[in-house]
Amino acid sequence: MERIKKLLKEAGISDYIIYGYRERTAELFFVKRQLDTRRLKDVEKFKVTVFRTDEKDGKKLRAATDVTVLAEMTDAELLDAFKGAYFAAQFAMNPYYELPDPVKAPLIEAHGKLAEQAPEQSAGEMAAALFKADCEKDAFLNSAEIFVIQKRAHVISSRGTDVSWIEAEVKGEYVVQAKEPEDVEMYRDFAYTELNTDALSAQAKEALMFVRDRARAQKILKSGNYDVILTDENVMMTLWFYGDRSAAHMIYPGYSTWKVGDDVQGETNGERVTITLRALAPYSGEGIPMRDRKLIENGVMQSTHGSNRFCRYLGVEPTGNYRKFSCDNPGTMSFEEMRKRPCLWAVTFSGFEMNAFSGHFGGEIRLAYLIENGKMTPVTGGSINGSILESQKDIVFSTDRYAEIGYDGPYAILLKNVAVAGTDEE
Amino acid sequence: MFERLDAQKPALKKLIAALRERYPYASVLATDEHFRSWRVSRNGITISSEGDGGYGFVIRVFDETGCAEYSINAFSEEMIPKIAAEMERRLEAERRALPEGITPMPTAIPDDSPAVLKKEAKYEIDPMDVGDEAILDLIRRIREKGMQAENILDIACNVTYCAERKLFLSEHRDLDETHMWTNAGVGAFGSRGEEVKDSYQGYSMLGGAELLKEVENDVDEVTRRLNDLLQSEPMIPGEYECVCDPEVTGMIVHEAFGHGVEMDMFVKDRAQAKQFIGEYVASPLVTMHDGSAVDECATWAFDDEGTLTGDTVIIDKGVLRRGMCDALSAMRLGTKPTGNGRRESYERKAYTRMTNTYFESGDATKEEMIASIKYGFLLEEPTSGMEDPKNWGIQCMVNVAREIRDGKLTGKVFSPIVLTGYVPDLLKSVSMMGGKVELAGGGYCGKGYKEWVKVSDGGAYMKARIRLG
Repeated sequence: MERIKKLLKEAGISDYIIYGYRERTAELFFVKRQLDTRRLKDVEKFKVTVFRTDEKDGKKLRAATDVTVLAEMTDAELLDAFKGAYFAAQFAMNPYYELPDPVKAPLIEAHGKLAEQAPEQSAGEMAAALFKADCEKDAFLNSAEIFVIQKRAHVISSRGTDVSWIEAEVKGEYVVQAKEPEDVEMYRDFAYTELNTDALSAQAKEALMFVRDRARAQKILKSGNYDVILTDENVMMTLWFYGDRSAAHMIYPGYSTWKVGDDVQGETNGERVTITLRALAPYSGEGIPMRDRKLIENGVMQSTHGSNRFCRYLGVEPTGNYRKFSCDNPGTMSFEEMRKRPCLWAVTFSGFEMNAFSGHFGGEIRLAYLIENGKMTPVTGGSINGSILESQKDIVFSTDRYAEIGYDGPYAILLKNVAVAGTDEE
Repeated sequence: MFERLDAQKPALKKLIAALRERYPYASVLATDEHFRSWRVSRNGITISSEGDGGYGFVIRVFDETGCAEYSINAFSEEMIPKIAAEMERRLEAERRALPEGITPMPTAIPDDSPAVLKKEAKYEIDPMDVGDEAILDLIRRIREKGMQAENILDIACNVTYCAERKLFLSEHRDLDETHMWTNAGVGAFGSRGEEVKDSYQGYSMLGGAELLKEVENDVDEVTRRLNDLLQSEPMIPGEYECVCDPEVTGMIVHEAFGHGVEMDMFVKDRAQAKQFIGEYVASPLVTMHDGSAVDECATWAFDDEGTLTGDTVIIDKGVLRRGMCDALSAMRLGTKPTGNGRRESYERKAYTRMTNTYFESGDATKEEMIASIKYGFLLEEPTSGMEDPKNWGIQCMVNVAREIRDGKLTGKVFSPIVLTGYVPDLLKSVSMMGGKVELAGGGYCGKGYKEWVKVSDGGAYMKARIRLG
């Protein structure tokens, strides 16, 4: 960092942010109970953003360009990279904005086994947790990937910011398979900031149950409009619509017309949405201190969030970019009660999508339960094509909860009258 | 450019020699990358090298537990003993921490028959010679022209270029290639109440700034398509006769079928295609290729495991001939690798990945296809897709479905559209194939939800029966 600072000065660059990190990983790849590949990583990088100012027609302008440099580069290579980035910046002038306010703080350590023990050991323990669930007769783990990441990050800026912190994360994915009566599979992923072996075992156990049901699911879904239940990560993706639409980079260009104080949910017959942004790391990559902040309260927008530039343009406090939120609605119906009414519980999709621009959500159904007269029938095939702009008028949250690295909130939501394309093979 | 790797090459050979004293196989893939993107929109003007930093090394060895890799981005001759020791120490720690009941996957040592190759990137104009100012002036001009159209909230224009060098070294291989691709795109945004619609046109080539000549002309078409979308209606679910434009054909090739013939999925018993080798899976009008026989963004002479690439015929006149394969999967399946072992970067694992994947042309025209349809749709502008190799389920999204009635376009547009169904049903329903293959390499392909690599896909206009929702 000191060498980079010295060379930036030598290049005549007075405004900058340096985000440096060292990342060590341990990675395991399995095919059934066989080890496919082992991997390790140890890399260090520095993203250097250089700023330049100008003035045109009496208005101050600001430009930023970035370059990624490595510790092993020579002084001459670093100087070339910085000078090149600074030269380019003169062509990318935008309205002026201040750099993030300076923050100085000692290193923030991460605690717990995931941060403190060797990543190789954590990878092994997560593998054991995953395979612990693999004890069913008619469903099994087909393949799995586990990544344990330990990261030490450091941000300094020309305005005096000097902060550093340690992060740890374990994430991965696995595929479960059932062979009878149909040979089918299902994909699941996971991510935790602690060595949460119990959560992984429980998730894998549930996935094995779902894939058994998918094996006997029928293609009997008829086209029409259904009350649809979404669960776990599909709830997270649907509700992040509110996060996207309230982001400064969406509001500044006019892609979103939302502003603080707006009733963004509009007229409703059901529950009013309440969402809080949650800080996963103490600072953003620009060195902005991150804290939990209320985003939506009872359907009304409470704050705008985003990177320094767009927040400055909107005249709001820069917040940094969030990777986690909670939906604070306690819910009005248990998941059990939700499943007693006629509806379609869409469990997994080929790839669930939520388009923040259009408000459309949906995807091809891999497993759903058609619930009629209190009977749950597993179905597969067909697709959902809904609009949150319509569905938010009458949304019901479950009292059951669900948590993962990016979300904490209701396990299920019930959306009414959603368009479903069936398989219509009966 | 890329002189750093020249300086490292002798030391990398010494690293391999040192590792060979401990391991029966050792190789190194060294990469260096220069990336730059220029973008103009209501969010402002940006120049970024965010994708840069692709300088690093992945060391592969085989030990008692099978294949193992170590990714680093700091290397010198002096560091060789330290790197070798640290790699061995950490691999041993990882092996010891494995849960009981896990066994190594039997895998033969990779083929390391001698191969030497040196290939330089082909391009006419280096975008860095054109310069930041000229490129930004061009896309600013395109944006200003587009903003004149009706109902425009924003026009976003971008240019991206990437120059890369890859060096693969093992005891008997020395493969060295530089590569350059350039992409551009024009996106138009407009609102209908709270709903924001967008339309996009992408451009790509294996080459440099010569691509930019063709970008300026299409902005009017993008804004026209956006205005069609602002009038669009939701699709009435059902199965319809459809004409796919070359980009939609490409998405079907790639998402619906291509992922299903990635042979690492055969190893995992995750691909239905494994049971269909030698059988009809498509109409006789369908012949599918993957590989480096065409010049597009994913054309490399060797892959990230040091296997030379070529042209792989996947489907020949409707019959599934073979899949595409990385080196490890090939050894496990007892077949030959096809040069499809690709990594997102030196920091990631290699998997079987597509390169340039496309259907061969036929002899029909778009007009003939439309004229042959009593009621159906012309599908344009694919937005995303998701694979399902195990069950050959289709999930593809397109932005535009133009209504066809009695052999003519009615002017009515439906959006957004989800394509679903069973892949062989769709491919067997192909009844007409157009005469001109077009490839699009503007996007990246993920394996599941990660591992993004540059690919291209395409084909010609194609008529098929497809379930739309």
